[in-house]
Amino acid sequence: MPRSIVQGVISHTMKIWPLFPAAIYLLGFLIIVTVYLLGMSFTVVDGGAVSASLAPAARLLALPEFRQALVNTVMFVVVGTPLELVVGLWLALMMYQSFRFRGMMRSMLIIPLAIPALVTATLLFILFDYPGGHINHLLMGRYWFFPAVVDAPVNWRGSMAFSLGISLLGKVWRDMPISMLILLAGLNAIDPELFDAAKTMGAGLRKRLRHVILPLILPSVSAVVLLRSIEMWKEFIFPFVLAGQHDLLGTLIESLYNNWGNSHEAAAVALVLVVCIIVSALVLFRVLEGLRRLLVYA
Amino acid sequence: MSNHRIRYRRLTLYCGIAAAFVLVAAPLYLLVKYSISDPDSINTGGAPIPLWPYSPTLRTFAYLFSDSEFYGVVLNSLCIALATVMLSLSLGVPASYVLGRYRLPGRKIFTLGLISIRLFPDISSVIPVTEFFIRLGAQNTYWGIILAHTLLALPYVIFIGISAFESIPNDLEEQATVMGASRAQAFVRILLPLAGPGLVAAAIYAFLLSWDEFIFAYFLLGLGRISTLTLYLNQKMSFAPPQNILATISVCLSIPVVLFAVLLQKYMTAGITSGSVK
Repeated sequence: MPRSIVQGVISHTMKIWPLFPAAIYLLGFLIIVTVYLLGMSFTVVDGGAVSASLAPAARLLALPEFRQALVNTVMFVVVGTPLELVVGLWLALMMYQSFRFRGMMRSMLIIPLAIPALVTATLLFILFDYPGGHINHLLMGRYWFFPAVVDAPVNWRGSMAFSLGISLLGKVWRDMPISMLILLAGLNAIDPELFDAAKTMGAGLRKRLRHVILPLILPSVSAVVLLRSIEMWKEFIFPFVLAGQHDLLGTLIESLYNNWGNSHEAAAVALVLVVCIIVSALVLFRVLEGLRRLLVYA
Repeated sequence: MSNHRIRYRRLTLYCGIAAAFVLVAAPLYLLVKYSISDPDSINTGGAPIPLWPYSPTLRTFAYLFSDSEFYGVVLNSLCIALATVMLSLSLGVPASYVLGRYRLPGRKIFTLGLISIRLFPDISSVIPVTEFFIRLGAQNTYWGIILAHTLLALPYVIFIGISAFESIPNDLEEQATVMGASRAQAFVRILLPLAGPGLVAAAIYAFLLSWDEFIFAYFLLGLGRISTLTLYLNQKMSFAPPQNILATISVCLSIPVVLFAVLLQKYMTAGITSGSVK
């Protein structure tokens, strides 16, 4: 090997060696996580001997709890993602306009993100208590400012729909600043001259929204939809605290691992979760790309 | 546009802002209200729960701060978070220096590879990490949880660090080397002070990430002898204690996070929006 190449490699290595410890650490863990996840999902341990097997996957498919958790998680994503987008859009459109104390209001709206998820979940745990709790008292018309909506207290955490519903509520409340900030950045990046030009050329509010604002903020909308849908798939803390026995995939992993002692099935669900996220992100990406083309070129 | 319509729009905007204010402020108010509630304001015997405690008190805080177990978990959380900051900075700052300063071929792909561990959901990666740590004997140990939290924080530290180092003009480093400084001297005397604010933000981010982390702590420490503040809150919740105790622990857990988040809003906003909008 020519000496110059060896010298080049040495000088390059000397230059980039500070990168090595972090790279080894992160890539090492990446390999460990991937290998263990795949290994545990496709092996069984029988009397100390490990052998390749599809048994964890087969047992999982036969498990009603798994099917229910998958359906629950899909519902969580399908309802939660548009909800986060709508709430984020509402807040961003308000914060885009100028009004007194806008800076203060913006700081205020970021606070939910700073509250740890476990704390928000604990607060909902307290508020939706049964049979007492503020929400039950409110809905039963115990306060002068709110009419009675129900006759008897509702057992929120006892019902699947309600317990997952309040988990979703907590998740959307805590994460709405992220959607708002991304959409606000998208709105702020639009050149105001474009509005003026469209207005001068006679476009009404609806036309400006359809042909100017929507195509231009679509990249931020796509970012919100993609990122938030991934977060919805991953959700663990809110249903863990609030939904008890009504599992999402995330909480099913925990139950299988800690309560049932089935680490291989837990790993298989963890793998299913990763696959779901990848597939859903790819599908959403294609759909959003199609939508962008439709809006820009139609 | 007619004056009437402008006024109508303004009114709608202010109603919307008021609604958003209530949406954020009401839960926070209720959390604080519960933490200063006296027992009669919680167990009302059928009467509506008051919107302001009958006799507000700080006794729950006093009770909590007189409990040595509480001090123990706060100290644990603090030590684990500080150790996470030290480890993730000592690994992350040199790495982000190289990635931020040198135009290496394939730099972007390599960076993506480094942070791709964060693409796994925590609840998915916690199983392999726990199994690996059990084999290593690192479950229920301080160093196990510190290594796990560093794994979570390091990609963010590198990501924030890269932009901090990238923003420093090349000329400064070159001038220092022309004047005889070694690469290490230029790094310590010129680059590090200039990248300081960004790196402080990264450090605080790592601290907070560890401080309120629950999933890895729950799997790696469980109900073992080491407990953190989040585990303590979760453990208390399972024993159905009075709600004012839960709220008080929650307030203690949130205060540092909210304080730092308000201080670091600029960096948080930049971190969230960077890369998402072209």
